[in-house]
Amino acid sequence: MKVVVLLKRVPDTEAKILINQEGSGIREDGIKFIINPYDEYAIEEGLRLREKLGGDTKVTVACMGPAEATEAIRTALAMGADDAVHISDPGLAGAGPFTAAAVLAKAIGGEGFDIIFCGKQAIDDDQAQVQCILAEMLDIPQVNAASSFEIAGDGASAAVGRRIEGGEEKWETSLPALISCDKGLNEPRYASLPGIMKAKKKEIRTKTLADLGFSEVPNKGRSRIVKWLPLPKSGECRMVEAGETADAVRELVRLLREEAKVI
Amino acid sequence: MTVQGIVLLVLFVAVLAAFGVIVRMLIRSLRLGRPEDRFDRWGSRIWSVIVFVAAQARVLAQWAGLGHFIIFWGFIFITLGTFEHILSMIVPGFGWERLFGTAVAGAISWLQDVLGLLVLGAIVVSLFRRFVLKPLRLRIDDPKAKQEAVLILGLIFVLIVLMFGVKGTAIITGEVDARTAPVSAVAARILAGVGDPHLLGSVLAWIHHLIIFFFLIYIPFSKHIHILGAIPNIFFRNLGPMGTLSRMDFEDETAEKFGASDMRDFTWKQLLDLYACTECGRCQAACPAFLTDKPLSPFRLIHMMRGHFVADRKKLLADAAAVATPIVPASVSEEEIWACTTCGACMQECPPFIEHVNKIVDLRRYLVMTQSRFPSEMQPVFRNMEINYNPWSMGYSTRADWAEGLDVPLASEKKEFDVLYWVGCAGSFDARGQGVARAMVALLKRAGVDFAILGVEEMCCGETARRMGNEYLAQTLIEANIEVLKKYRFNRILTTCPHGLNTFRVEYPRFGYETPAVHHSEFLLELVRGGRLKPAGGSVSGRAAYHDSCYLGRYNGIIAQPRELIAAAGAGEPVEFGRHGRHSFCCGAGGGRMWMEETIGTRINEARVDEALGLGVGTIFTACPFCMTMFEDGLKAKGREEQVTVKDIAEML
Amino acid sequence: MTGDILVVTEIRNGQLKKAAVELVEGARTIAAGTGGAIDALLIGKGAQGEGAKLARHGLRRIAVVDDELTTNYSSEGYAKVVADLVAEGQYGHVLICATAMGRDLAARAVAKADGVMFSDCIELRYEDGACVAKRPVYAGKLYIEIVPSGDRPVFITVRPNNIPPAAETGDSAEIAARPSGLDRSMIRAMVKEIAALAGGRPDVTEADVIVSGGRAMKDAANFKLLEELADLLGGAVGASRAAVDAGFAPQPLQVGQTGKVVNPKLYIAAGISGAIQHLAGMRTSKVIVAINKDPNAPIFEKAHYGIVGDLFEIVPILTEEIKKIM
Repeated sequence: MKVVVLLKRVPDTEAKILINQEGSGIREDGIKFIINPYDEYAIEEGLRLREKLGGDTKVTVACMGPAEATEAIRTALAMGADDAVHISDPGLAGAGPFTAAAVLAKAIGGEGFDIIFCGKQAIDDDQAQVQCILAEMLDIPQVNAASSFEIAGDGASAAVGRRIEGGEEKWETSLPALISCDKGLNEPRYASLPGIMKAKKKEIRTKTLADLGFSEVPNKGRSRIVKWLPLPKSGECRMVEAGETADAVRELVRLLREEAKVI
Repeated sequence: MTVQGIVLLVLFVAVLAAFGVIVRMLIRSLRLGRPEDRFDRWGSRIWSVIVFVAAQARVLAQWAGLGHFIIFWGFIFITLGTFEHILSMIVPGFGWERLFGTAVAGAISWLQDVLGLLVLGAIVVSLFRRFVLKPLRLRIDDPKAKQEAVLILGLIFVLIVLMFGVKGTAIITGEVDARTAPVSAVAARILAGVGDPHLLGSVLAWIHHLIIFFFLIYIPFSKHIHILGAIPNIFFRNLGPMGTLSRMDFEDETAEKFGASDMRDFTWKQLLDLYACTECGRCQAACPAFLTDKPLSPFRLIHMMRGHFVADRKKLLADAAAVATPIVPASVSEEEIWACTTCGACMQECPPFIEHVNKIVDLRRYLVMTQSRFPSEMQPVFRNMEINYNPWSMGYSTRADWAEGLDVPLASEKKEFDVLYWVGCAGSFDARGQGVARAMVALLKRAGVDFAILGVEEMCCGETARRMGNEYLAQTLIEANIEVLKKYRFNRILTTCPHGLNTFRVEYPRFGYETPAVHHSEFLLELVRGGRLKPAGGSVSGRAAYHDSCYLGRYNGIIAQPRELIAAAGAGEPVEFGRHGRHSFCCGAGGGRMWMEETIGTRINEARVDEALGLGVGTIFTACPFCMTMFEDGLKAKGREEQVTVKDIAEML
Repeated sequence: MTGDILVVTEIRNGQLKKAAVELVEGARTIAAGTGGAIDALLIGKGAQGEGAKLARHGLRRIAVVDDELTTNYSSEGYAKVVADLVAEGQYGHVLICATAMGRDLAARAVAKADGVMFSDCIELRYEDGACVAKRPVYAGKLYIEIVPSGDRPVFITVRPNNIPPAAETGDSAEIAARPSGLDRSMIRAMVKEIAALAGGRPDVTEADVIVSGGRAMKDAANFKLLEELADLLGGAVGASRAAVDAGFAPQPLQVGQTGKVVNPKLYIAAGISGAIQHLAGMRTSKVIVAINKDPNAPIFEKAHYGIVGDLFEIVPILTEEIKKIM
C-alpha cells in the first residue's frame, strides 16, 4: 500500500511572531521552523499503518515548501518515513490553497497513492482548506480532523472518528481517501538516533513547477492580504477592581463579553 | 614428607590451580567490556588503596564498619597463619618458629588468638544486627543474598573455632606454649581427654583446610567475589570529579546502537564494579528513591546486574559471536532506571567505590536514543530543548525578557568583560527563578562587577538532556553553546545553578571548553570577603536552615561557602539537616525527574520537607533553582508555605 | 457572479444552530455594499421545520434540503448541494459558520465551486467594492485583513460569537424545499453515527472554555463551583497539578507541563498561582482570566484579566452574572 503524508514547514508559534517593517508579512529572523504539529499526527498514523499492514507498504512524505524545508522532511524521515517528494520553486512563495492543492495533486497523483494523511490545519495560516481542495482535485473523499482511525480488514474502507461540538462523529469512508489528523489521534514518536542517521540517506525527490508540468503557477492570485494587524496590546494584565467584589465581577463579565468576546 | 603431606600438597596445588583458572576467567570476563583508561595517576591510585583498603576509611565512616575492619584484618592475619600451617603439614618442621625464632612465633600465636576472638565477637554482632536489628540497608528481596551472608559468616566462625581447636590440641601435645595462646588454652582444657590429641588435631586441621579450599573455589561464585574485586576496584576508582559522564562519539553514521543494553556495552571498569559489591546496602540506605518506596535500589541494581553478568558470561566467553541477553527487562526494569535522581548518594557511601550512576545513565542512553522508549512526559521536554533551547516550550527569543528594564549588559554588546553571568533556563523563564536572577543582577551591580549575560544567545546547558540519556541532544546543545561562548572574552562563567556549574566545570572541558566556572555562593563570598559587597542584612526572621544541593555539595565540594555567606549576611549559623554536607538528602528533581510525574511511593521532596519541618526553622536557604522549586512545592503540598519561606542565598544579601 | 449572498446554516440534532443569525448579520454587511439579496440554505435532517426560524430576518429565499441522502452529513454530498446552488444562483459570497461541520463543508464546496475561501473570520466589512475579512493567523498571534481578487464565488467561514446576531426585520422570506440532487455513488465518506460525549462535558484538550482550579479549592467537593461555571459556558473543568496531587480533582483534568496542554478561547484560573509548570500547559489560551487571593501570584503576569480576591466569593458571582446575560 502506498501511504502519502503531507507535511508543511511552519514557524514555531512559541516564537514571538512580529509583523515586518513593511507591514507585508512576518519577520522571519529569530523564528524557528518546525513540522506543522498536526502533520506529526499524520506522519505517526502513516507509520502505524505501515507497521500494521507490513508487506511492501511504504510511507512517502510530500511537502511543498522552500529549500529549507528539507530539515523538516528529514525529521519525518527520521521518524521512519521511507522517502519524500519535495516540491520547491521560487514561484510558489506565498501560494494560496488552490495553488498548493493543484501542485500537490500533480505530484501525488503522478506518484500514485492509496491513502493520504495530513494535519487538520497548518498553524501558520490556519485555513484548513488545502486538504479538501486536494481531495476534490484527486476525486477522493476526505474526512477531516480525525481523532481515531481504523482501516478495515480488506483495506477498501476505514472507520474514522472525529470530534464535533458536544460529541464525536463516526464516519465510514471508502479508500482511497484523504484523512486529516487532529490532536489525540496518536502520540507521535520521538525519532531515535539510528533513525536520524538513516534519514540522511533516504531519498528526497525534488521537483520544480516545470518538473511537474506547470508552465506557470496554477490558480494564482485568488486573494490578497491588505493588512497585517498585531493583537491589541496584551502585555499588561487588566486588573479588574471595584469597591464591591460583585461590581468587579460584573465589570469582568462585561469585558469578557464585549472586549474579549469570549462569552 | 608423609602421605598426609603429599595428599595435602596435591589438593592444595589443585585448588590453587583451579583458583587461578577462575581468576583468569574473571579477568577474561572483564575483557568482554569496552576499553576505558583507568591506568593513569598510579601514585594517587596506590594511595587510594592505602587509605581505603588498608585503613578502610570509607568502611569506618559508619561506626558499624568497625566490625568489618576487625574481620578484614583479622582474617588476613589468620589466613597467613593457615598457609603456614598447611605448609607445615606438607613440610614437617616448617613454621614461624623455624623462620623467625620462638619469640616472634609466640607473638604471632598470641595475636592470632586475640584477633580470632575479636573476629568471633564481630561475627556474633554482625549476625545480631542482620537478623535482630534488621537495618534498612540490608533489605533485599532475594533470599539467596541472605543465605550467602549467613554461609560466609558461619563458615568464618567455624574456621576460627577450628583454629582454636587445632591450637588447643597443639597445646595438649606441648607443641604450642599455652602462654602464647590464651584462648586456645581454653580450647585445650575443653578438648583434654577427647581421644588422641594428635589425631584430633589432624582431623580438625584437615576440616579447617578443606573448608579453606572450598572457600577459594566458592568465593568467586558468590557475593564474596567482593574479596577479589574490591581492591582492584578501589585502585581503578574514578579519580576525577564525581559528576562526569562518558562522552559519546556520534561520528559513525552506521552505528545502530547507542548506550548500553547488555553487558558487552559496559566498559571493563563498569563490569569490575559488579565484582566489587559485597551487598552492604549502604547505598540503598542513602538512596532517595529507595527511601520513598520507588522500585529503584542501587543495592538491588548492582545485585541483579551481577547476577545477569554471571549468567551471561558463560555464553559470551564460549562464543565471541553469541548474542548477549538484554539487561532490560530481564534483570532491571525501566521503572528502576527512570526513578534515579542521579544524586550520587550511593556513590558517596560505597566503600569499594562502585559507580552506580553511570550505569543507569548508559542504560537510559540506550532506551532514549536507540529505542525511543522513555516516560512520555519527557518527549515534550526533548522537543522543547531542540526547538527552543529550554525544557518549557517558552519561545527562545523571549529568553532575556526577565531583564527588561534592568539595564543588564549583553555579551554581544560588551564583547570583553570579566564575568559571564549564565542565567540558565530557570533564571530566564521560571517566575521564581527570575526573581533570583534579578536579585543576582542587583548584587553584581552593587559590587561593581564587570559582567554580561548572553541573553537570547544562551541555550540550555544540556545537563538535563545528558542525565536523561539523550546524549545526542545534549551534545548538540553543548557544541552550540561553546560556539557562542567562544565569541566573547571573559575570565569566568558565573552560575546560580549547581547543575549548570557541574556541567561547565566538569563536562564542558571534555568538549574542549576550559573557561573556569564558579557558583554564585563561591562568587558572592569572594565579593563579601573582598569588601566589594556589603550584606544588606536583616531579612531573615527566626532560625534558618541550609539545604546542600547534591550537585553543589556532594558533586563539587562546595559546602562551607554557602554557610559562610549565610553567616556573613547576618542570619547566623544555619541549622543543619540531619543529612547534610556530602551526605545531604536529594530534593528529588535531578536526573530529569523535575519534568516527570512521581507516581510511585511517596514524594522525595516531601520527605525532605518533613525533615526540614522537623528542624523548626522559619527559613530554608537553597542555592539551586531545582531545590527551590521542590521545597516550595513540598511546603505547599503540606500546607506550610505560610510558616516557612524558601530563599536563595542571593536573595538575602 | 452576482451581488447576492448565500448563507448556509447548520442543522444539528434537527435544530438550526443559533449562530445562523450571526451569519445573516454578516451577510447584511456585505449586501449593503453589493446591493444584492440574501438567501439561505438549510441542509440536513429536520431542516424542513427549521426554515421558519430565519423567515423574519429580511432574507429573500430560504432553500431547504432534507431528503434521504442528506439525513447524515457527508462532505461530498452537502458540498455538492451547496456548489450546485451557488452555480445556479451565481452567488458572489457564501457564508458558513466555522463549526466542525462548517469548516469541512465550506472547504469541499469551494473546491467544487472553484472559488476562494477565507476561514475562521471574526469580522467582515465591505470596502472599495470588495468584502474585507479579518481573520487570525499564526495560532491567533496576529490578524490579517484579506480581500478576494477576480470574479469567483467567495466562501467565508465565520467564527461563532464574533458577529452580533441579526435582528428580525419582520419581512417574510420565501421558503422552498429543494431536492438534494444527489445519488448514492456521489457519497464515498459519510457519518454513520454520532456519539454524545460521556458526561456531557468536553475533554479538556478540545474545550473552547476551561474553568480550572488550584490547591486553593481546598476540597474536591468545592470543584462543584467550577463545574457549574464550566457547564454554563459549555466548557471543561481543569485542575493544576497541586489540586490533582491533593486529590481534589482526577488526573485526566490536570493541565500543565506533565498534564495536558490546552488551547481554549477562554481559560479561567481560580486559585492557581501560575508556576511555570502550569503555564506551560495553558499559556496559549486566547483569553486568560486569573482569580487569586495573592496579588503577586505569577499568573497575573500571563493573564489578560485578573481579579484579586477570594475565589469562593468571586466564582459564584461570576456564574450568576454570566447566567444573566446568556
